[in-house]
Amino acid sequence: MRIGVCIKQVPDTDSHLRIADSGREIDDSDLNWVISSCDLCALEEALLLAEAQVSRGEERPELVVFSLGPARVEEALRKALALGADRAVHLADEALQGGDALADGRALAAALAGANCDLVLTGAQSDDLGQAATPAVIAEILGLPYAWLVMAVELDAPRQSARVVRELEGGMNEVLRLDLPAVLAIQAGINKPRFASLRGTLQARGKPLHREDCSGVDAGLVGAAGAGTETESVTLPPAGAGGVVIEGVSAEAAAEELLAHLEREAAL
Amino acid sequence: MVLLPHTYQSAEYAPRLAVRLGASYIASVSSATLDPCGGLHFSRAILQARLRAEVRPKRRLVVATVQIGAFGGHEPVESPERVFEVGRPADVERHREREILGREAAGAGGVDLPGAERIVTAGRGVGGPDEVSVAADLASALDAELGASRPVVDNGWLPREHQVGSSGHIVAPNLYVALGVSGSIQHLMGMSGSRVIVAVNRDPEAPIFSVAHYGIVADLHDVAPALTRLLEARRSG
Repeated sequence: MRIGVCIKQVPDTDSHLRIADSGREIDDSDLNWVISSCDLCALEEALLLAEAQVSRGEERPELVVFSLGPARVEEALRKALALGADRAVHLADEALQGGDALADGRALAAALAGANCDLVLTGAQSDDLGQAATPAVIAEILGLPYAWLVMAVELDAPRQSARVVRELEGGMNEVLRLDLPAVLAIQAGINKPRFASLRGTLQARGKPLHREDCSGVDAGLVGAAGAGTETESVTLPPAGAGGVVIEGVSAEAAAEELLAHLEREAAL
Repeated sequence: MVLLPHTYQSAEYAPRLAVRLGASYIASVSSATLDPCGGLHFSRAILQARLRAEVRPKRRLVVATVQIGAFGGHEPVESPERVFEVGRPADVERHREREILGREAAGAGGVDLPGAERIVTAGRGVGGPDEVSVAADLASALDAELGASRPVVDNGWLPREHQVGSSGHIVAPNLYVALGVSGSIQHLMGMSGSRVIVAVNRDPEAPIFSVAHYGIVADLHDVAPALTRLLEARRSG
């Protein structure tokens, strides 16, 4: 069995975000880059599924991690290898860059099809653009069943289907059965992603990481040429709702002032 | 243009629909404008609502999902121009590759957030499971229910039934106090209808301040205990 995991490298949302001079993107000169949080949960879920199969006496599935992006993405793939993935595929070709979810999903689908995966895991949405579209695009292009916001995964013994719990609004979950191969988009928080050990980090250096140029895919469908959207501008959100800001005073003074406001508002 | 609400149901299949139609796809938009040349432009939150992006579809057909609560409700028009009734096309086979087995509640009960008059919510800024008490103490001094943001629940600091936001409870109490909540778009969707919103956060750029009526830029570990002490002193005095 082979499990593919797609990860995206994103700016650390705790880092200070500046808008680039072009006004169309964020300034990436001084950013920390991390693996998007749901994608880390997807990788952790793949590792847990692999470990569960080993503990049942079955053969350990091969875990292949995929990522699309420029040279910096190699660091994210090395981290995934250090965490326990067996090999990595970097969609690094210049022609694949600058796409949106439609273009990136098409390139990833081509790479996944080439690897012949029985199960594809991704995060439910990225921490940067957060469209929650790429895994659905992958599923559509590969013609596979798909579930979004997955809270739990169990593979049946012959590994022909997966029992999946997915989140709905209002504190309800939906229980599904999907035939394999399938694409599952993992919700944040379903597991606790492990930390890489020193041993894992050292082992990762020897694991295969290869570059995939998706040469079989029509160049007009991937990268900037294949994107269905264009970002025209990036701006700071409009300033507050005209609210009262209390700052620069002691905690006691701030508390007094707030309570006076709340009494006037009859909110107490 | 095909518009769908950005719910957990429709946002699952909407990107597949866009691929099948050869359309552009834009998710969770909060506004749309039409320029004089007939071009569409959409606005959406990115980087966990820290920034906004204006996005233009490059294709003639666009599938977009709309953020819940982004637009105020309009009076329904008297009779829509045309309503199509669509049956299941005869050539669509019932899918067996994906089967719904049932539904279940995500967590236990005992917390009544939707019915609460006042809510104090602990965000990631409280810092850890042992420090949630700073929010719980203020909640008890205010006679409020205790809420939690998603990271607090995901980290196991509070059980899931405390979660406020689109994946937890949608609330609109008389008073909502957010302690150390940065304010993801999903959280804002779940509480921005509250009558009076108070936010305490060290980061003046936290998106929660965009919906707060009263914002205190300070460490919640100083401000929340001070509020609790004042309220308790009033109660006993």
